[in-house]
Amino acid sequence: MKRGSGQSINFRDNARRAIENTTLRRAMRHATESFRQKRSDAIVGIPFEEWREQASELRKTVIGDIKGYVDEFAVNATKRGAIVHRLKTAGDARDLIGAILKDNGAKNIVKSKSMVTEEIHLNKHLESLGLRVIETDLGEYIIQIAGETPSHIIVPAIHKSREQIGRLFCEKLSCDFSDDPAVLTNTARGILRQEFLTADAAISGANCYIADTGSVVLFTNEGNGRMVTTLPPLHIVVTSIEKALPSIENLPLLMRLLPRSATGQTLTSYLSIITGARMPGAATGAKQLHIVLLDNGRSEIANGPYREILKCIKCGACMNVCPVYGMIGGHAYDSTYPGPMGVILSTLLNGIENAHPLLDATTLCGACAEACPVKVPLLKLLYELREMRVDKGYNKTAESLGMAGFGMAAKNAHIFQAGQTSARALWPLAGFLSPLTVNRLPKPTNRTFRRRFS
Amino acid sequence: MKNEEVVRIFMENSAKVAARPIRVNGIIHMNEVLGEILANESAIYCPGISELEKAATIDTERRVDAYTDATVAVEESVAGIAETGSVVVTSANGRAVQASLLPAHHVAILSADNIFMSLDEFFAGLGKTPPTNITLITGPSRTADIELTLTIGVHGPEKVSILVV
Ligand code: SF4
Repeated sequence: MKRGSGQSINFRDNARRAIENTTLRRAMRHATESFRQKRSDAIVGIPFEEWREQASELRKTVIGDIKGYVDEFAVNATKRGAIVHRLKTAGDARDLIGAILKDNGAKNIVKSKSMVTEEIHLNKHLESLGLRVIETDLGEYIIQIAGETPSHIIVPAIHKSREQIGRLFCEKLSCDFSDDPAVLTNTARGILRQEFLTADAAISGANCYIADTGSVVLFTNEGNGRMVTTLPPLHIVVTSIEKALPSIENLPLLMRLLPRSATGQTLTSYLSIITGARMPGAATGAKQLHIVLLDNGRSEIANGPYREILKCIKCGACMNVCPVYGMIGGHAYDSTYPGPMGVILSTLLNGIENAHPLLDATTLCGACAEACPVKVPLLKLLYELREMRVDKGYNKTAESLGMAGFGMAAKNAHIFQAGQTSARALWPLAGFLSPLTVNRLPKPTNRTFRRRFS
Repeated sequence: MKNEEVVRIFMENSAKVAARPIRVNGIIHMNEVLGEILANESAIYCPGISELEKAATIDTERRVDAYTDATVAVEESVAGIAETGSVVVTSANGRAVQASLLPAHHVAILSADNIFMSLDEFFAGLGKTPPTNITLITGPSRTADIELTLTIGVHGPEKVSILVV
């Protein structure tokens, strides 16, 4: 979301409010604990380090030549009957998608989870055109009827307790109250089944697109991704340009890393590889397939010093291990992407002048970088962006002094090593959390900065 | 015949993801087992596209033409993947990939010869012009969107049976 100047994110107030919200704190504690457990179970007995090294190299290759992969993909997807649109801005994407739906006379649209459509605020735009948009991922459906935004990129309603969801369904869907996840899921299933069968069009995201075959790939568990890509006659895929894989033969690597890092599964229940529109005489697929490849600032990031954030495969592992995210949840970040990855991406996409308060949302403990399946150097990027914030004068004097000291020390290895203790003391959140809370946060890492980056 | 070891790993891994793999010895045995697992189904969809589907005995009284009306879909899967316990369905040969999604029970018939050991083996053999839709199915439909509590059977089948022939 692009903000005007003077409308910067009020992260500190948001975080304070989140910390005072005991229901949220309980939900987040439960979520973080079970996420961490699942993920650590999932990487036992596999060559995780070797795979993440390979994946990191692969993603580096991709972001080194995004335009080349977009070109190759566009040629191959077009050959297979898809219509590929390369768009510069969020506004371009909103306008085009609205126009495609209008031109086809679509009124009822089913959607499967797509963070890029959250990034461009697509639903609001389509609703303003008089279209009816239904989110079909259970978590997205919950937050849609609650009138909220996702607080996690994989589990959008992670901040809600089962009682809250039960009351919400009871009120909005006029059903009996239940706080049993199985009953609630069944209620949603019944309503959404009808929507799938009668929808005029579908909008989905894609976890990646494949240059050498012109395919888009969706990892899903519920089956809504399969529904929206096979039932409605018109399907619009909305994804961003950096999500390329060079070859379909690279897919196994992503398949091994993404579900394990995201939910601790070996593989999601469904993996759909969609290549082109429905062929004459075939019984599967949309008759009209549009693929929107959105730039929205990414080309610029790819050419700059923080380009490695574009290696991200949006697994959510970094937020699941982040002590700040685990304490305050996703809404406090007031941006599409929360957590460590979100802080970096939002700062780059929205501009430091708008997003600089988000750079407080880190303890610089480095847990994120260690969890990342594609080795995005999250800790390094957070440090560098905070240095940039100091350079541009967007933070308080006290920290400026500390960061200036840090900068000087970092240039001199001896001083730097000696200064580790004080660097760790630059713990940005500590100043405004209650002493009780501070004690419960994991302390900044004792492993040194040098060791991490050498 | 594929290496029995690959079949064994496939069976083990598909059971781990809550599918129900059953090893059958030939067509006669397959039809006996089918009879048992379809006993309580009221509307059976089986497109009869492949040889194994044609060989499956389906009670004509309960057989339906529209997968949207079916309680169970019986279909041959083109491949299995031992590493993940997945079965593969594609849109080739006029197949509706969504037919194995809408009914609450999916019965996949899988020839043991078509089981690949690893994801790499399967994808390396795919070529550069894959069918419009390739779907890997790994266990039943599931969600953990409410308090990360695992719930089986959201939009897709809650039961996946696999007959390995
Ligand atoms: S930065 Fe890494 S850990 Fe975080 S969402 Fe992206 S891929 Fe996952």
